[in-house]
Amino acid sequence: MFEPRRQHPVAGLTQLLHILKENWITLLILFFVGTGSESAWGIYAVLGFTVLSAVGGVISWWRFTYQVEDGELQIKQGIFVRKQLYLSRERIQVIDISAGLVQRVFDLVSVEVKTAGSTSKEAKIDAITRTEAERLKRLLRSEELPKEDEAVKSETSKTYKIGIKELFLAAFTSGNFGVTLSIVGGAFSQIDQVIDEDRMLRFFEWLIPASVGVGLVFTTLLFVVIISWLFSIFGTLIKYYDFTLTVKDDALLIKRGLFEQKQLTIPFDRIQAIQIKEELLREPFGYASIVLESAGYADQQQSLNSTTLYPFLKKVEVQQFIQQVIPEYNACVEPVNPPFVALRRYLLRMVWVSLIVIVPAWIFVPYGVYSLFLLIPALIIGYAQYRDAEIGISGDTMMVQWRLLSRKAAIVRKHRIQSAETKVNPFQRRLGLMNYTLTVASGSGGRTFAIRELEKETGNQFLEWISPASTKQKESFDTDQNSIID
Amino acid sequence: MREKLIWLTNGFHSPGSTFDFKGMINSQKEQQTLPSASKKAWRINNSLWSLPIWLVPGYVGFLYVFNAEVSIWILLLTVIGAIFLTALFVFLLPEIRWKRWKYRVDEHEIDLEHGIFIIRRTLIPVKRVQHVDTRQGPILRSYNLGDVVISTAATTHKIPALSEPTADQVRSEISTFARKAKDDV
Repeated sequence: MFEPRRQHPVAGLTQLLHILKENWITLLILFFVGTGSESAWGIYAVLGFTVLSAVGGVISWWRFTYQVEDGELQIKQGIFVRKQLYLSRERIQVIDISAGLVQRVFDLVSVEVKTAGSTSKEAKIDAITRTEAERLKRLLRSEELPKEDEAVKSETSKTYKIGIKELFLAAFTSGNFGVTLSIVGGAFSQIDQVIDEDRMLRFFEWLIPASVGVGLVFTTLLFVVIISWLFSIFGTLIKYYDFTLTVKDDALLIKRGLFEQKQLTIPFDRIQAIQIKEELLREPFGYASIVLESAGYADQQQSLNSTTLYPFLKKVEVQQFIQQVIPEYNACVEPVNPPFVALRRYLLRMVWVSLIVIVPAWIFVPYGVYSLFLLIPALIIGYAQYRDAEIGISGDTMMVQWRLLSRKAAIVRKHRIQSAETKVNPFQRRLGLMNYTLTVASGSGGRTFAIRELEKETGNQFLEWISPASTKQKESFDTDQNSIID
Repeated sequence: MREKLIWLTNGFHSPGSTFDFKGMINSQKEQQTLPSASKKAWRINNSLWSLPIWLVPGYVGFLYVFNAEVSIWILLLTVIGAIFLTALFVFLLPEIRWKRWKYRVDEHEIDLEHGIFIIRRTLIPVKRVQHVDTRQGPILRSYNLGDVVISTAATTHKIPALSEPTADQVRSEISTFARKAKDDV
């Protein structure tokens, strides 16, 4: 009675959009690189790619069938390689029905079926009608589960929702410049092929009248920064619109998004570490965001490794928040800092880094010698890096804080640490310093947290702390056990 | 209190002998070094890798023979440079690398220490180990050596160039410890 069915043909379209979205950076590069003054092969390349993807989308729609038989969801898909996925009703844990932008236009939904276990299989039906989705859900739901679910939800869930004021503040302070800056910069480098320089100069003079003497470079830079900032603002608004975090008994539930509402479920036992990030623009105002690292729960759309747990929060409220949401990560540590001798290595490093910019600028750019002034912020950052480097433990929890540009702190539980490492280079050996690195699992790979220039004894202590043996002899932790490296 | 097991000292070289792990859980507490045969294997390996260095004096020599504009001093200089680098790669680096490599495996953790300029010490809780392999390339095989590769959920680590029986020992020891540690919890 349950024939194999196809999705709504719109699935072909969503497939196409998905491919384009996956490859947008490549396409952008192709477009800009290939669109020179005389030939325009880039446009053809992009067009060709789009057409191919469209054909691919249609074929993959045609080749995708699903059916429910004996309480088992069977999905067959794949253009060249046929993949068959069988999910029995007992193993299905979550059935997510959601609607993206495209789906909403055509009044359709997408259905995601997730199972638990270490080999977390996952199936997604991209575009079907809502009634069809409900039918599937009825067929696949085991009888007892849903009621239990409802009961849990109504009883013990706490909810945190981002306010509209917070959202806008978050957007305006989002420091997500890096990516957008490079895109806008790339676009700008192509502009002179469209508009000739004289006209552009006049445009800027019109835009910023006072800047006539300041020079084109500076105004262009300012313009690029402002546009990237706008991109970043809108990006954040769209991404975190209606951000809702629900704390359940065994999992965290995150909902967010303006056009495409995303929904993530993160079981507590998948959490590997949390990070507190004070982005550059947020730090002066005392705001931070909290990010979760989780592993072993693959999600096709967004590989679930780093997830924003809460996008915008007062720094002073962070601890309280952690206590309420994931109390086992709330640790009061007495941190250790790098010793004073480390300061000069922090400063020197920033000098080298800034020289990478200064020397070429000095040689190749007119007035490039003024880039020597970059040394001042570089040294300030170097000092801040030294001052903010901290590491500490309390029971089974470790806190590591470091700064590259923005200040970040990671909180890690001992039994989640995959490995720890100390590194000593010859210069550090002379000063008795070492770098310390921790790795936790994240997504299908790992994430490392590192702190530089710790005192050798401190580094060794924290290295040996991760050993399960150290739990058993906790009292001897403070005594000197660091003779092994000598 | 620290005891070294006989089968992991250099005396153990009988291939094919099997081991019973019962009662051995409190094994190595001391850092082990690599067999000295590993130096030989690395020397061969590094001399293969340093062959491209000789492309430079080769090219200069070619110019010198067919195009008189290159002086003999430049040729000599490149030859000396190539000899120096090759000596460094073939003789010095394997020696330092071998001297620095130490490892220790016990029921709690794997402790690796190595590095030529930058000395790294890595600790891997045995409980986190997902799988252990032994691997062997053609050069290692000719010296009856093998790498032990340890994978966790996030990282992979290598104990290089152990003698075949030791490699097998270490591998099965780690996997026994890992299984036992997981059962404990």
